[in-house]
Amino acid sequence: MRIVVVTSGKGGVGKTTTSAAFASGLALRGFKTAVIDFDVGLRNLDLIMGCERRVVYDFVNVLQGDAKLTQALIKDKHVDTLHILPASQTKDKDALTEEGVEKVIKELETMGFDYVVCDSPAGIERGALMALLFADEAIVVTNPEVSSVRDSDRILGILQSKSRRAMEGREPVKEHLLVTRYSAKRVEEGEMLSYKDIQELLRIPLLGVIPESDAVLQASNQGVPAIHLKGTDVAEAYADVVSRFLGEDKPLRFVSYEKPSLIKRLFGST
Amino acid sequence: MSEDVRFESGQFEGIVVRSPLVSPARLADVLHKRFAGTESYFGGEPAVLDFSEVSDWPEQVDWSGLVAFFRRLGLQPIGVRGVPESFDAALKRLHLAQLDATALRLEAVRRAEPAKTAPAAAPETPAPPPADTPRAAAPTKFIDRPVRSGQQIYAPEGDVVLMAGSNPGAEIIAAGSIHCWGPLRGRVLAGAGGNLQARIVATHFGPELVSIAGIYQTFENGLPPSIANRAVQVKLQIIQGQSHLLIEPIDTI
Repeated sequence: MRIVVVTSGKGGVGKTTTSAAFASGLALRGFKTAVIDFDVGLRNLDLIMGCERRVVYDFVNVLQGDAKLTQALIKDKHVDTLHILPASQTKDKDALTEEGVEKVIKELETMGFDYVVCDSPAGIERGALMALLFADEAIVVTNPEVSSVRDSDRILGILQSKSRRAMEGREPVKEHLLVTRYSAKRVEEGEMLSYKDIQELLRIPLLGVIPESDAVLQASNQGVPAIHLKGTDVAEAYADVVSRFLGEDKPLRFVSYEKPSLIKRLFGST
Repeated sequence: MSEDVRFESGQFEGIVVRSPLVSPARLADVLHKRFAGTESYFGGEPAVLDFSEVSDWPEQVDWSGLVAFFRRLGLQPIGVRGVPESFDAALKRLHLAQLDATALRLEAVRRAEPAKTAPAAAPETPAPPPADTPRAAAPTKFIDRPVRSGQQIYAPEGDVVLMAGSNPGAEIIAAGSIHCWGPLRGRVLAGAGGNLQARIVATHFGPELVSIAGIYQTFENGLPPSIANRAVQVKLQIIQGQSHLLIEPIDTI
């Protein structure tokens, strides 16, 4: 079983959107996948996955022994092999203990899960530290702006010192850069950092670039992970991300901007 | 497998805390500002607590409180210096070594050093090859990964060599010089113990702050193009008894 943390340091960059889409993508490939919301106190993942009405027990109930893990895991309505462990909205983030999280992760392993995706809260406090503690791999979600890049850098440093792998001196957590909310047009116009700039600053391998799109908002309002929005660039970009994560070679898409031709400008895009 | 246990005399790296205070509460007050918010500021280095500057010894000292305080800072106190004999029993209970004798020996070695190098300035006597000198070279710290925002590299002795550069928000502090391959960003302080000869050398210069032996400069308005992202060295220059930082590009051909 591999544990993947989706993290960023900064809030609002697309961690939960990415966790939902990425976990769904892994499940679509046939892997038995669990996605855990570590944002105790501010649960979001269940909304984005469209299962908020089916939450009976949550992560904290399991940690505190009030419910069994099997009772709290919610089966995804789109993909059979995907399960969601929602965060608690009422409990305090101190409910996350190292022993508790470890126990849940061990149990997921015995249940035969292939991947566990940990959706980290923003910041560098307890929730975020717990989300990355057991990670084998990390997807660092970054927006093309300076403060987001800086926070990602900070979280990379924390991964190198506070993860179990780091503390036990094992092979370091495998790091992946995911640039989200990317507008090739604004990069072209010099308003945004390019993905190359970001990669140069962070110096970790690039897993993908997700274009800025209204489809993401639409998807989260409908409670559908963005990867299911057939025909949108966002869904295709996330599918590419999953492929690259699984070791397939996919060229980058949606990163160059072509000025609309005269005809398009005259008649509008179709 | 050999089961030969050997006891060798050796020197190891550590931090010496010179404190004129022995009250944990007072120390916490004074150091609060310097280490504000950063628990475990150090990385578990062994430390010797040197109290030779304490002028007024109280009758009772909260030794376990002191040890706990320095542990919280991320140090591992292994011994003390300059403590009156009346505290011997208390120190033994806490398994803290009294290192005054060792300290004197080290001091003697250090004092002997200048005497050895001074005649080398005379024309006839060639300096002995460095390999023959008994002094252990100060260890150089090599850092192979980028130093990231919020991370700190601290070399209480010797130099630091950054093999993958540093990022904005990182902090690199060395008693000796700092060498950097790749982008040098963040706060970069060389000669931290007052070494005026220390330098900062970088292939891609762009820090937020540089300092040598406490003489510092910030770059609030960005770096001049002559040095920005270029190969640069920083050293101290003494003009009319005043120290200035000299920041200049290096000709790399």
